[in-house]
Amino acid sequence: MMRKFVCGICGFVYDESLGYPEGGIAPGLKWEDLPEDWICPLCGATKVEFKEQETVIPEEKKQSSLDEEHQEKIRELSFKELSALCSNLSKGCEKQYRNEEADLFRQLAEYYDSKSSAAFEAQISDLAALIEADLSSGYENANRRAAAVSDRGALRALTWGEKVTRILSSLLSRYEKQGETLLANTNVYVCEICGFVYIGDEAPEICPVCKVPNLKIAQIQRG
Amino acid sequence: MHAVRNIRLCTKDCLCLYVCPTGATDTETGQIDASKCLSGCRACVDACPSHAISLIPAEFPPQQEKTVSVKNALLTLAASKMDQEEIASKLAETTGNPVLRQLAEALGKSNRLMAEDMLRESGYMLPQSRTVGELLESLLSEKQPADFPEAAVKRLLELVNGNTMQEGKASAFEKIDY
Ligand code: SF4
Ligand code: SF4
Ligand SMILES: [Zn+2]
Ligand SMILES: [Zn+2]
Repeated sequence: MMRKFVCGICGFVYDESLGYPEGGIAPGLKWEDLPEDWICPLCGATKVEFKEQETVIPEEKKQSSLDEEHQEKIRELSFKELSALCSNLSKGCEKQYRNEEADLFRQLAEYYDSKSSAAFEAQISDLAALIEADLSSGYENANRRAAAVSDRGALRALTWGEKVTRILSSLLSRYEKQGETLLANTNVYVCEICGFVYIGDEAPEICPVCKVPNLKIAQIQRG
Repeated sequence: MHAVRNIRLCTKDCLCLYVCPTGATDTETGQIDASKCLSGCRACVDACPSHAISLIPAEFPPQQEKTVSVKNALLTLAASKMDQEEIASKLAETTGNPVLRQLAEALGKSNRLMAEDMLRESGYMLPQSRTVGELLESLLSEKQPADFPEAAVKRLLELVNGNTMQEGKASAFEKIDY
């Protein structure tokens, strides 16, 4: 029997009976026979992000025990978090055409950026470890808490964030395997709304994660 | 409430000039003069063929309720994203390899955007909200280094503090669980 596999990031469906002729995959090719380094033609996700269609069951509402959370105090914001908070408020002011406020929040964001740069040796493996921690527990924990109180805004942000994080995880594993050839003769784009990163010749029409049109998708130059 | 024009959408048809009863749309800067705009008249909004004008409320609804539990989970993720941004920017800065630098820049930018989104949803969506006002006030009440931009924070408090509806009323505060 021919099966269908759905991309967990953008919803692209790989149908074994159709293959993907545009990408040189003949009709009838079994999922397990697709090369391991095959990626989603729309969003660039690796094969591990796909699930067989029949197995996609609607997620049950998880009942959360809030006991552990009752005692909590609000976390203190670090300099880096304050920087991101202020850079976002700056954008919020821009959207309201409040230029003076936007400049002031930007000034504050830059101040906190300058305070947070400690000396350390940066390593891709450290980046990968943080990504894996977010994916293995950070999002699950946050989703459970937000679902328990039906916080729709938080759930929306978590859905986008988790998809983008899975893309970053895909990208790092592709970079690990292919090295610089991953980016040879092609371009890098970042969606300025959700942070989706895309590697390809042209930016997608709309962002596969947040669906914003590509005038909000910026190219990252090599220089 | 006053009208604003998105200059990127404006096709310079100038219908807004004809319909505005006060001449508020007739400016050199391309923007609409908020002081002349009649609150909620919206004649220009309906007349613009390019949907370039919209009305901005002077007051916004209060910031949605956020629980400590959700807020902390979002802040934990934001902290991780900002750690990732820091590693990525450091990589971009120090590597001699232009390809790695390009990738690191993209990763840094992506992580900042995700952190911003988490923070925004943890109770800091509107610059005018009480959460933002309180944060700014707490910064002023703490001892800060000499280079802290105190004047900027004071000015922000004058400009944005408490401009949402109902805020300032104790009854509205009490049901908000921060
Ligand atoms: S009517 Fe609309 S398109 Fe024409 S000048 Fe006014 S804002 Fe611009
Ligand atoms: S809303 Fe009315 S008063 Fe204000 S700029 Fe438009 S037409 Fe003029
Ligand atoms: Zn996809
Ligand atoms: Zn996006």
